[in-house]
This record gives sequence, C-alpha cells and structure tokens, in this order.
Amino acid sequence: MTATATPTVTPTPEREQLQLPSKPKPSPFAIGVWALVIVFTIVSARRVGFSFTGVIEDLQRSNPVFDGLLNTRWGEMFSSRSRAAFLQTLQMAVLGTTGGVIVSLPLALWSTEVGNPYVVPRLILRSINNVIRSIPDLVWAGLFVLGTGIGALSGVLALFFFSIAVMVKLTADTLDGLDMGPVEAANAAGASHTQMLRTAIVPQILPAFSSYALYDLELNLRASAVLGLVGAGGIGTRLAFFQNRGQWDKLWGLVVMFFLVVFVVEYVSVRIRRRLV
Amino acid sequence: MIRFEQANVTYDGGVSAMKDLDLEIGDGEFVVIVGLSGAGKSTLIRAINGLVPLTSGKLDVNGHDVPNLTRKGRRELRSDVGMIFQGFNLVDRTTVLNNVLMGRLHQVPTWRTLIGKYPEEDIQIAARALQRVEILDRAYVRATNLSGGQRQRVGIARALAQEPSIILADEPVASLDPPTSHVVMKYLQQISRELGITTIVNLHFLDLATAYADRIIGLRSGELVFDGPGSACDAQVFEDIYGRSLTADDTMAKQAAL
Repeated sequence: MTATATPTVTPTPEREQLQLPSKPKPSPFAIGVWALVIVFTIVSARRVGFSFTGVIEDLQRSNPVFDGLLNTRWGEMFSSRSRAAFLQTLQMAVLGTTGGVIVSLPLALWSTEVGNPYVVPRLILRSINNVIRSIPDLVWAGLFVLGTGIGALSGVLALFFFSIAVMVKLTADTLDGLDMGPVEAANAAGASHTQMLRTAIVPQILPAFSSYALYDLELNLRASAVLGLVGAGGIGTRLAFFQNRGQWDKLWGLVVMFFLVVFVVEYVSVRIRRRLV
Repeated sequence: MIRFEQANVTYDGGVSAMKDLDLEIGDGEFVVIVGLSGAGKSTLIRAINGLVPLTSGKLDVNGHDVPNLTRKGRRELRSDVGMIFQGFNLVDRTTVLNNVLMGRLHQVPTWRTLIGKYPEEDIQIAARALQRVEILDRAYVRATNLSGGQRQRVGIARALAQEPSIILADEPVASLDPPTSHVVMKYLQQISRELGITTIVNLHFLDLATAYADRIIGLRSGELVFDGPGSACDAQVFEDIYGRSLTADDTMAKQAAL
C-alpha cells in the first residue's frame, strides 16, 4: 500500500526497567515423556543384560566369524552360483518394487481426504494399509513360503507387500501438503473425480513419488538379502547356506559383493533422484 | 441467462455473504462486480458454477436449477462455465498445454485422461485457445517458467478451451502489475465480444471496472447497492459501494503513479 500514514510509536522512557512476562514453566506432559524415555532405556538395558565390559571381553575372544573376515574368499563373489543368486535378488527387487509402486499410487490417493470423499471406504482402506504396514518383510516372506513354497516367487510377493507398506505411507503424507488451487480449477472445468486426480494431483506428487519409488528399490534390495534366510530365494539363500556350514570366509566374500551391489544401486538412484526433484 | 431470486449465502459462523439477491445477467454481457474485500464478490461468482452452495433462494444458470443439481448435472453446468482465478491455479509442474487441456476434461473419456493421450481435436481446441491469448509458442513450457501475466493468459486459455457460454473471473488481475492487468482485461473483453461469451469479472480497481465493463454491479456486505452501466458510476455511487469517498488506493492508475 501507499506510505501515507506513518505509524505513531509511543516513545519508551529511558532507563525504565522493562517487565518481561513470566517464563512459562515446562509442561508436566513434556517432563513426564522425558522421564518415561529415560526409565525405559535403563530398564531395557538391564533386562537385556547389556554391559560395556561384556562387549569388550567378547571382542577379545577368538571368534570363527571374525577369523573368516580376515581370510575373506574374494573368489566367492564371482562363482557362477553366487552370480546367479545376485541376479535373482536384483530381479526380485525390481519386480516387487514395480508391482508395489503401481498398486500403491491409487491406494495412496484413495486413502486421503482429497482423493476419496467417502469416509467409510477411506477408513477401510486406511485400516488395510495399516495392517499391511504392521507386518514386517520377513514375516511376509515366511507367510508366502508357507503359501507358495520355497523360492523366488514368495520373495517377490513379500517385497510387493513391503513396497505397498512403504509407498502408501510416504505418498499419503505428501498428499497432505498439496496446492488445492489446481483441484478447484479442475472441478470448475467439470472434471470427473478420477480426471481431477489425474490432472490436478498426480503431476504435483509425481516428482516426490518417483523419488520414493527409487528409495523403495534400495530398501527391497537390502531386504531381499534377508528374505533368503526363510527360504524366499535370492542371495539370502546362499548366505544362509554358508552360515549353516560355518564357511564364514566364503560368506564374507558374498557380503562384500552385496555391499558393492547396494552401493552401486544407491549411487545410481541418488543421481536419478536429484534430477527428478 | 443467469437469474438469482432471493438468493442467500450464509457461511458457517453466521457470516452472510449474499443477502436476498435478485439479479439477472443476459447472454453475452460483460459484467464487472465491484466491492470491498468480504463484500461477497467471490461468493456471487462461485455460486454461479455451484462451488459455493446457496443457503436459500433460487438460481438458474442457462436452464440449470443450480441449488438442486445432481452430481452429473453439476458437471454439465460446470463444463459450460469457464473459470479464471486470482492465483491462476495452474499445475506448476506440468506443461502449459496440459494445463489448458484441463478445460477439455468434460469431453475427454476418463481412460484417456489417465494415460494422458488426448484426442487430436481436443488438442486443436486447446491450441486455438492458446493462440487467442497469443501464447501458443509456449505450449510445451512448464507453467513454473512463465511470468504472472503469461500464467493468467494460460488461465484464460484453459477457460476458453471449455468452449463455455459463461466465463467467471475471480479477481483475475489482483496478482498482476497495472500494464499486465490491462492486457489481461483486454483479452477478456475481446473474447467476450467476439465469441459472445457472458463474462463476469470481480475487480477491486474502479478505473479498470469503468474502462472495460458494459455493466457494473456494486456489492456491499452481501447486498446489491448498484447495478448500471459504467458511465452511470459517479462519485456518489462509489461512496455507496465503498462506504466512503474515493481515494488513490481505489484506482489503479493513481496507484501505479505512486
């Protein structure tokens, strides 16, 4: 606006002690929460039997696992069986991620207020999402091994549900901070609900969504190492094999290889993500 | 034809933004609504396409009984009424063309919207709309990379792409500088005259209103206090609308000079 009116300021008399408002006391709630955190940590440490001296003593004792680390069999990285297992892990991760990502976009949209105006279906969908999220990936894998037998299929299914859990949560949170202007414009243009979602909302969340998808791929790659322990295929099967036979030197070779694969995938996805967002 | 009869809008919390309004706007008219912030300008405009529901009274827009529309009827009404917004309401992350194609949604099957493949004829309509506001060369530029005036022209193109018989513009120039405001107002006036589209514009700059409007409607606290041609709008009328005499703040020309 124009600077015609100058605000009148009452001059403060000099050297007068200014009275500050009294300091607010810390809320009893905050104190309670902090006290609980401290008590819980101490009680947990006691119950688990955690002690620093114990850790140091154990490290000094001779240990076949650490001996294996010193004699790592690098050759194990490149044996044909290991390579096949790695390839399977990558394929499982890609398949599980792609499937999960495709399904989670509509699921995320329909579980938020802007994407789904109906209260009851929204609540049902949210509860389903919560159930999916509360089951850890290893348990999913165990369930599918029981259902579909040992092998990569059960691993892919486990990663699929794990992806949905991750993606729906992250995407739904992004949907909360949306610019509603384009939504109004689409509605004013006579768009159907689905058309509004596609044209006014999806373009807004797409950059964040693709970045989540890449993150999900990384998570799935790491998760697939563990899935093999319950028989769900991939590199984990081979890790479990060496573990059971006590061949720690070979196992460490695989771990190094796995580290390299994860590192490369992360590096690539970080580069892609930077260009997306 | 738009006809309000004894129409009322009361918001939650008891604010009355439209009081016993009787108003008729004929086909092809270029109407400017003036009034202070909170006088009910936006409410009036948004009532016409059903974005704000009437609390009581009747409203007929081109034969649509607005207060009693089904969901489908409301979409039909809205497909015939283009809207232009103060904050442009463009999807910044997508192209100008995609934004304008939003105006075609009422014609395009949902599955085509989902895969983003619009029919060639709809793309042509969008292109013609962009041509009319002389911004076709920026069709594949992201909306973020445009200036304010260009963005509002995209907003106009989006409304035009609906091939509407009514265009509603809610403070279309409030976010723009004075020269750009004139450009936008000229486009609106030209479109209304050449295509015979009924155009209703909310403004708070009086000189802009008198310069472009065929008819001025003055609102104050939700009530109609003036309805007549721009030429009849003298100082006394403005005092009725604004509750005080004119100052430099109310006209854009003088404000721009400051």
